[in-house]
Amino acid sequence: MITDEMRGILGKAMATATSFPIAESDIRKWAVAVYYPEVPPPLFWDEDYARTTPFGGIVAPEEFNPMGWMTKEPRPTRKEAPRGAYEAQLGVTPPVFKANMQSQVRVTYSGVRMRPGDVIRSTRRITDYFEREGRMGLQLYTTIALELVNQRDEWIKTLETVYVRF
Amino acid sequence: MIDVDALEPGQQLPTFSREGTFQHWNRFAAVNDEFAEHHMDDEVGRHEGFSSAFIMAPMEHAYFHAMLRDWMGEAGRIVRVDMKLRNPLLRGRVLTAGGQVTAVHREGDEVVVDLEIWEDDDTGARLAPGTAVVAFAAPRRASAPPA
Repeated sequence: MITDEMRGILGKAMATATSFPIAESDIRKWAVAVYYPEVPPPLFWDEDYARTTPFGGIVAPEEFNPMGWMTKEPRPTRKEAPRGAYEAQLGVTPPVFKANMQSQVRVTYSGVRMRPGDVIRSTRRITDYFEREGRMGLQLYTTIALELVNQRDEWIKTLETVYVRF
Repeated sequence: MIDVDALEPGQQLPTFSREGTFQHWNRFAAVNDEFAEHHMDDEVGRHEGFSSAFIMAPMEHAYFHAMLRDWMGEAGRIVRVDMKLRNPLLRGRVLTAGGQVTAVHREGDEVVVDLEIWEDDDTGARLAPGTAVVAFAAPRRASAPPA
């Protein structure tokens, strides 16, 4: 499943994106979704409370995704169903598969938190491929690293997701 | 409030549990733009070899974060969270996340804590083993009184 063409794109920036400024309500909705049906910690939704903390105001939960919906760049286009054909973004023919799932998620944080008003930039790269026989036949594992920095070029986190296609 | 001085290997974290329902998953889909059909349709989950629809991986990852935050409060910071997805949380099951301290060491002004973490369902199946690293500001030591 792994071709020389695919190996040739390892480490190359596959996609970059810039978020719109993070809104307080983006953070609140994320926290509500993660903690449902319980009330999320007030640090994520109560500005009066958050101002009394060492953070000095509302911050986003570490795992918050500021790119979830529309981004400022690239400009929005008609939504297509996700297909997992990552290589096509670098002009490389993707492997044939019928299912795409996540098998590992790894994240490293700098300690810099995302806050309302922040504009986040992301860079996505394929960093590893390997193959393994599984119960659904030959499976292709693909690691995609997503690095996030803020408007001051401060590194926030790197999220590595290993996808398995079969 | 965590007593950072009292942290030691073997300590268990309070567990974090959530039901696996569309009520939970659709809320997460709505904030993470995560609408793969195997999270929303039992039939698609079955087509992919499972007995029903199943949870999104980023939501399981977020649950680990929530468990760590519930334990640490605002005194700690999350440094790293790694998880392997062994079995998906199926619709109708209950996920419980847990953790245990495996090492404690000081790095500069911080106390760094290594953790083994896991998520199981209510049948006892291990869904996601993993590891995490968190850090706390090191307690200030009182100066020794002058001799």
